[in-house]
Amino acid sequence: MKPELYHYAVRRGLTRRRLLQGAASAGAAAALGGVFTGAAGRPAWAQGNLRAEILKIPGVGMGSPTDADWQKVGELCLGPTRERVAQGEFAGVELTFMGLNNQNLHNFLFRGFLKPWEAYTGARINWIDLAQADYNARLQQSIATGTVDFDVLEMGAPFEGDTAGRGLLDEMPDWVKQQIEADDLVGYLQPPVGTWAGKSYRVTIDGDCHTFAYRTDYFGDGAIGGPSVPKTWQEVNAVSKALVGKTDPLTGLPAHGYLDPLKGWGGFGFYFLENRAAAYVKHPDDPAWLFDPDTMKPRVNNPGWVQAIQDVMDLIATTGAYPADQINADPGTTAFSQFLAGTGSMLMWWGDVGSMARTSDTSVVGDVVGFGINPGSDRRYNSRSGQWEDVANEAPNMAYIGWGVYVTARVSGDEKKRKAAWSAAAHLGGKDISLWMAAYPSGFQPYRNSHFIYEEWEAAGYDRAFVEDYLGSNADSYNHPNAAIEPRIPGIFQYYSIAEDELAKGFAGQYKSAQETADAIAAAWERITDQIGRESQIALYKASLGM
Amino acid sequence: MTPEGDLLHVVTRDAISAPRRAMGRLLIWGSFGLLVLVAALQALDVAGQIGLGLPNWRPTLYAYGFWATCLCIGQVVLKGEQGKRLVFVLPAALFTVAMVVFPLVFGLTIAFTDWNLASLTGRRFNGIDNMAQMWADPFYWNAMGNMVLYVAAILVEYAIAFGLALLLAAEIRARRFFRVAFLLPLMLSPVAVSWMIGKSMLEARFGPLARLARWMGWDSPSFFGSPEIARITIMVMDAWTFIPLMMIMLLAGLQAIPRELTEAARVDGAGPWKTFWEVTFPLMLPVSVTAILIRIIFKLKLADIVINVTAGGPGGATDTVTSFIFREYRDRSNVGYGTLLAIVYLVLIVIAMTVLMKLADRLTRPRT
Repeated sequence: MKPELYHYAVRRGLTRRRLLQGAASAGAAAALGGVFTGAAGRPAWAQGNLRAEILKIPGVGMGSPTDADWQKVGELCLGPTRERVAQGEFAGVELTFMGLNNQNLHNFLFRGFLKPWEAYTGARINWIDLAQADYNARLQQSIATGTVDFDVLEMGAPFEGDTAGRGLLDEMPDWVKQQIEADDLVGYLQPPVGTWAGKSYRVTIDGDCHTFAYRTDYFGDGAIGGPSVPKTWQEVNAVSKALVGKTDPLTGLPAHGYLDPLKGWGGFGFYFLENRAAAYVKHPDDPAWLFDPDTMKPRVNNPGWVQAIQDVMDLIATTGAYPADQINADPGTTAFSQFLAGTGSMLMWWGDVGSMARTSDTSVVGDVVGFGINPGSDRRYNSRSGQWEDVANEAPNMAYIGWGVYVTARVSGDEKKRKAAWSAAAHLGGKDISLWMAAYPSGFQPYRNSHFIYEEWEAAGYDRAFVEDYLGSNADSYNHPNAAIEPRIPGIFQYYSIAEDELAKGFAGQYKSAQETADAIAAAWERITDQIGRESQIALYKASLGM
Repeated sequence: MTPEGDLLHVVTRDAISAPRRAMGRLLIWGSFGLLVLVAALQALDVAGQIGLGLPNWRPTLYAYGFWATCLCIGQVVLKGEQGKRLVFVLPAALFTVAMVVFPLVFGLTIAFTDWNLASLTGRRFNGIDNMAQMWADPFYWNAMGNMVLYVAAILVEYAIAFGLALLLAAEIRARRFFRVAFLLPLMLSPVAVSWMIGKSMLEARFGPLARLARWMGWDSPSFFGSPEIARITIMVMDAWTFIPLMMIMLLAGLQAIPRELTEAARVDGAGPWKTFWEVTFPLMLPVSVTAILIRIIFKLKLADIVINVTAGGPGGATDTVTSFIFREYRDRSNVGYGTLLAIVYLVLIVIAMTVLMKLADRLTRPRT
């Protein structure tokens, strides 16, 4: 769970009675000894209800978990490891783990989880901690200069093309699939995600998608935005235009509708145009929506994409539809400086913006936020037929697909080291430990079907309404049959980055039309494809789509 | 030791024997041969012609270090006292070669390749393709055009800095306080300036400067909404940070001017303006030129504020060459093309600075 979300949940759901219950149960457990101190004589996996036990560490509302808590959870969840690895089996093995050290925990958490694993197996882990901003450059340079110096890697699925596509990853052994119970992953994280050419490489530890956040005080009977929340991008634009000249019910300042980020964000800003475009161009019969899989010809200048760009340009041309300076607003600005500060009424973002509405000191919209999935469209474009179809369409954008743990080919020649690396990865991606990661601050969102058992969360001390609201918006997106999955091809962020530059020119009026802007993006994408290698990109794109 | 010759500069005149000379030459050329051999073997290994399996270029680095050491020792063996003098300078020169010349040559070899880090084929020599791409790249030339405007703004910055320096050189109250206060912006990181000023104080809705602008009658203040205003705002933020640098240099120059000169001008009947224009300003020309040249160098590196505040927008209006190269290099992993852009920029800067220094030299030369 995102740390902010945890604090939000605690503030929202924890009553005094629950707090006392939690304290009493923790006290009772401590009195019994063992489980909570990690000194139990009996094996942790033998406990009757492990999942309920780990959710009590440290207990919802008992403060943020500490390294000691992570170690306790890691110890309790060692059962599957003990079944497959003998004590001290990896003595003498040294592994290098590369991951993030940003504020959302990541490597800090992994250290705690893996400490009992190290103690049990005898292996030792060296850590490479990277800031998020340095991650891509470090990974790409390691790959390009042949200096991959890590055995285990925390990595986003979009980079699978750069790594698995080059044969830099080690194929996941079957026993790992069994240990992590891979069948439990939500639908969109099932293969082809995590696989290349039919081989599995990824221990999933996260899920990602963009969800729709809106201001509840803008919509309803007599509200300024109309009686109902917009369900399509056409309605979103209509409401955004109709709100011009009205007053925000919360701040008393001018009201605004949807907040498009119009400035680049290192490639990540392109996800937000994708949200609009996915509704138009992600056809249920076709997994591809960014490129033609047979030629890598960009689809970004087809009528569906052009419509998405035109929608944004229409709002730019409508004076007052956007806040002043929107041309200089990146996604961070739209979420944290605008939406949470009471500017604008609709936003697309990852799962944590709603929680920050309650937990951030600068937020003023905590009590008036609702969630939904990516708005749809009342018509869709069929790339194969080249025609618009008057059929309603929905396509949640699985932006970034989430983090996974991968093992590099460095260990492939050493069976003992290889087993150790996969054992460490499997420990982090285990079914039970993942529930704790979903429920407590970890930096990761829920990603397994078993994470959506609301009773488990409620028993742990969470408020049922909150859990259903938060988990429901994710579940609806994850399980959507027409989810727009990100292509995992080499250099995907290069495509996004140049698209941001061209869009900025288009939004600033330097191109004559949306079509001309889209054509410029397509031309730039063609150059990147040629530079990276068209044939290999075609093959890798098809592989990423499972074609 | 012989008593003849340049006794002022030469402490001893060594009689170097032929075997010693041979030994010196052997030391230098032998170690150089070893360096060439190791480098050639490594190059062949990298090219896949031979299979040494060397994991990195450290052997060549060690061979370079060995040659550098032998070269220094060889100078003394070969030239005696004269060689010892060379050893005072040679290590620094070799270090510079290692740290500047080698990377530059390496950069040049990259600049003429097609090297996208995401490409499976790796680095490929592509002749002048990158140059042709640069020639037709509207983003690069747009950034270059912006740089001309940014550099031109230095004249305004100079005028303000000169005014502030004159103010601080005058007998005013709390002069020391103001000297420190005016220097404060220079102590801030441009990244901090970006966030504190660009992202907070200039925030269009809640930023205090936006509120002030609204209070003064600007209905919908937007500091980055139009290309012209965005460019000016970036110029102002950059100027606010670096005017103190020029100011402190000019202040030092003003304090170095003998008071007698201005007093003599006043005795001759010159008013304040004439004293400044005919005495102070000409005397300050060398310092002014130095301050402006240093400021130009700083300005040509402008990137952090742009990257953080506008990302080059709107529509490239605030883009700088460095921020564009940053995007090309970091976001798009286009190493070959990005390196070429940087090399071309370096060449242009060297040419421009050489011309400027020539002009400055002519400008500041005493007129007879």
